[in-house]
Amino acid sequence: MMLSLGPIIFGLILGLIIGSQIKLNVGDAKFTLASFVVIFIVGIIVAWQLGNFPFYTDLPISTAFLAALIGIFVGKLLFARSK
Amino acid sequence: MSQGSMILKIISLPLSILLICLGVMTILGGHITPGGGFQGGAMIASGIILSVLVYGLGNSPLELSHTYVEVFESIGALGFIIFGLIGLFLGGFYLYNVGTDLLNVVPAALQNVLHYPDVTNAGIIPYLNIFVGLKVFVGLSAIAIAFAGFKKLVEESE
Repeated sequence: MMLSLGPIIFGLILGLIIGSQIKLNVGDAKFTLASFVVIFIVGIIVAWQLGNFPFYTDLPISTAFLAALIGIFVGKLLFARSK
Repeated sequence: MSQGSMILKIISLPLSILLICLGVMTILGGHITPGGGFQGGAMIASGIILSVLVYGLGNSPLELSHTYVEVFESIGALGFIIFGLIGLFLGGFYLYNVGTDLLNVVPAALQNVLHYPDVTNAGIIPYLNIFVGLKVFVGLSAIAIAFAGFKKLVEESE
């Protein structure tokens, strides 16, 4: 099994770039830690249903989608702005 | 300028995040599946636009600052041009695929550096997709954010 690193690395980078712009505590809609856990679980299900790209035989889930999701959350935790 | 109902506000951010992930996936599969930089960038921008429309400008959890738009628009354009020029100087013509190097004119070390790490022999094509995706994503988002700002100005002046 050869792990394709390209989608994982660049998915994480793109996710970090976009996740850095998420800011919570604005407006009247509240998102807690539980909300993000639910989003993450739904994201894993979506990635599994999408499947990986053709010729990528490393994992049965979309590694690019999952890497982007993790990148967004990490970017939000590391770089997110407050209002 | 908050416009959406509470149901919309609760569902929009999760949907935006999933749309953005789908856009990133489309960008990164551009060399092997239908889609690519423009389409993926437009999908990411649709996530930002959904968030800005529902929560309103200034209240949106996903909103791009002026500096952010400037920086990534420039990185997208410059990255594409730089990869083109690398091909011009090493391979003889603009946007020569130095990662794949079909003509065997590029040093092996440089070819390994610029080769996209996956099972296909795509070379620099995924990098070009990423740069185009970045540029389209910030460009389209900036248009929508600017329109929302103009609307806000008009509403305030009335």
